[in-house]
Amino acid sequence: MRCTLLKRFSVSKAINNARRYHSPDYNFDLTNHNLSVQQEQKNALQRTSEDLSIITSYFPKSFNFAAYVNSSNTLQTLLHLNVNLSKIEKKPFVAEKILKLNFEEENTKEILLFIKDYVGVEYIGHFLTKNPLILFETAEDLKIRVNYLESKKFQNESIRKIITQNPFWLMFSTIRIDKRLGYYQEKFKLCGSEVRYLATKQPNLITYNLHHIQTNSFVIKEEMGFNDNEVKELILKIPKVWMINQHSLLERFNYVHNVMKIPHEKVLHYPNILLCRNFKVKQRHIFLEKLGRAQYDATKENYVPLSALIEGTDQDFCRTYAKCLVDDFNTFLKTM
Amino acid sequence: MVVKPRDAALAYKTLNGIVCIYKPPCVPVRRVQQMIITNLCRDLNALPDRPQEKRIEIVGATNAPMTVKLVPNYADDPLICGPRYIQDDFRCSWATHLGLFTSGVLLLGINDGTRLTYHINVARPTRAYKVHGQLGKATDTYFWNGKTVERSTFSHVTREKIDRIVAHMQLAHQKTMFELSGLHMDSQATYELASQGVIRPANNKLPVIYGLKCVHFDPPNFTLEVQAVNEYEKYLWTLVHDLGIQLKTSAYCTGLQCIRQGKFDLELALLRKHWKIEYLIDNMDRCRQILEENETLLRPKSAHLSV
Repeated sequence: MRCTLLKRFSVSKAINNARRYHSPDYNFDLTNHNLSVQQEQKNALQRTSEDLSIITSYFPKSFNFAAYVNSSNTLQTLLHLNVNLSKIEKKPFVAEKILKLNFEEENTKEILLFIKDYVGVEYIGHFLTKNPLILFETAEDLKIRVNYLESKKFQNESIRKIITQNPFWLMFSTIRIDKRLGYYQEKFKLCGSEVRYLATKQPNLITYNLHHIQTNSFVIKEEMGFNDNEVKELILKIPKVWMINQHSLLERFNYVHNVMKIPHEKVLHYPNILLCRNFKVKQRHIFLEKLGRAQYDATKENYVPLSALIEGTDQDFCRTYAKCLVDDFNTFLKTM
Repeated sequence: MVVKPRDAALAYKTLNGIVCIYKPPCVPVRRVQQMIITNLCRDLNALPDRPQEKRIEIVGATNAPMTVKLVPNYADDPLICGPRYIQDDFRCSWATHLGLFTSGVLLLGINDGTRLTYHINVARPTRAYKVHGQLGKATDTYFWNGKTVERSTFSHVTREKIDRIVAHMQLAHQKTMFELSGLHMDSQATYELASQGVIRPANNKLPVIYGLKCVHFDPPNFTLEVQAVNEYEKYLWTLVHDLGIQLKTSAYCTGLQCIRQGKFDLELALLRKHWKIEYLIDNMDRCRQILEENETLLRPKSAHLSV
């Protein structure tokens, strides 16, 4: 059950931290020390009365952190914070930086306290796993970035939520964040409080790849045919739609709109149907259709809400809406 | 009743054998393999695990008595060395390939079961398919995803006509089956072979159809049931196309479903929502029972078709 790494990273440069000298005032080089030992005693097997515990063992190059963690205080500190180091080591350039990290430094300490303050103790491991490079920013920068949010009248609660939910937010400079917020405000004609609501509801959207956002906006407006007001309503209801793959988004909408004949307003009323994988909606819809129960009009009898197609277990669905046993549903699934 | 395993290591050891999976349409077999393995890793990592290892550390000055300490080995922590079970820990292979658009019974071998899938494949058990087709239209790929190349009337097609053509096609296939055996068609040896019943093909190159029947006819839609060996997706599509031409109209295939492989049928197959460790272990057990009851599935004794 070993994990394999594609690229091995070198510790020889980053060894200062991993090598632990037991005595703090031991300040000469390891190679010099070996030389002096050799000069005094010619035979390596001869006994010595000197204390040799200050010499640490040789650390060869390794594929992963496991080779160093037992002798590195930095890695152990991170481990106690619940950071998943096995994920960090997948990126060798980050791993090398992490090995060089020193928690005694003022800046690093300050950043750690700062994050703890905003994220809370239970999420800090998750936060650092996602974005370990935050420890190499300067503490002033982070404070400026939070100050910017405060100046834009974000509530303290929402700032906390933004930072916890999107660990990369603080890596963006205030200029970039300002541009991004401006972009969303202009593109979707949002007012100030709506921008704040959007950023709090889905902080990942603000720092998302803008090309992806543009493509999805095109898909939603031109290909799916929502008008500007509906687009605005959609982004405030489920911003996640802008972050999913455009092809699967179109496929889902195509099925709901053209096969199930659900008009745009109904989709907008329950937009979560666009977030559910198509095969789930499909199998439940076809089953209902076979039973003659696919009736999504609320004004008529035997109304089945759209939420029934994606929420709940199959047992609940069969009992409440299909009015049959779950075994029948399973048998039906084996004919698809 | 399905029981969740208690220990990850124990569960991993039991995962040797074949499982019978219901492959959904439009999902490639490789993707199905990937999903099964990923789900197994996820479930195994969630199960209770062995305790973390300890390590012995000898500390202190070397010129004085040193102390021996037993400390936890951080290198064994899942946060450091990664999850206990990863996808590379599993081998997975299919017994016979199903095309992208085919749904239905798929046999997958996991870990030591990969050997079983090889034997099943070499033994060439028959597979039964339901082939759905539609009259009146022909496409360039012979399937619903292709461009329409021809439209024609089909009002002259009746159940009797389709049955006659289908029976004729089955007969032609059975004749080629004996021709492929390599024996002279007029010899005594061929007569004796044929008098015992149908035979299985010697290699895996040429498709052989043993049974062909129209089970549902509701113009323009119809369904054929096919028992065959060595067939592949495109071959069954062309079968529908040929049927259309012989009926003096045109036809294309609208769906393919494998309903049986050897002794493994739909009832045994696991649906996508059941691809979890407890169901997979239970299914593996049932597959093992079937293999034990039918030894000829793995090692056929004669050239005659038994399953």
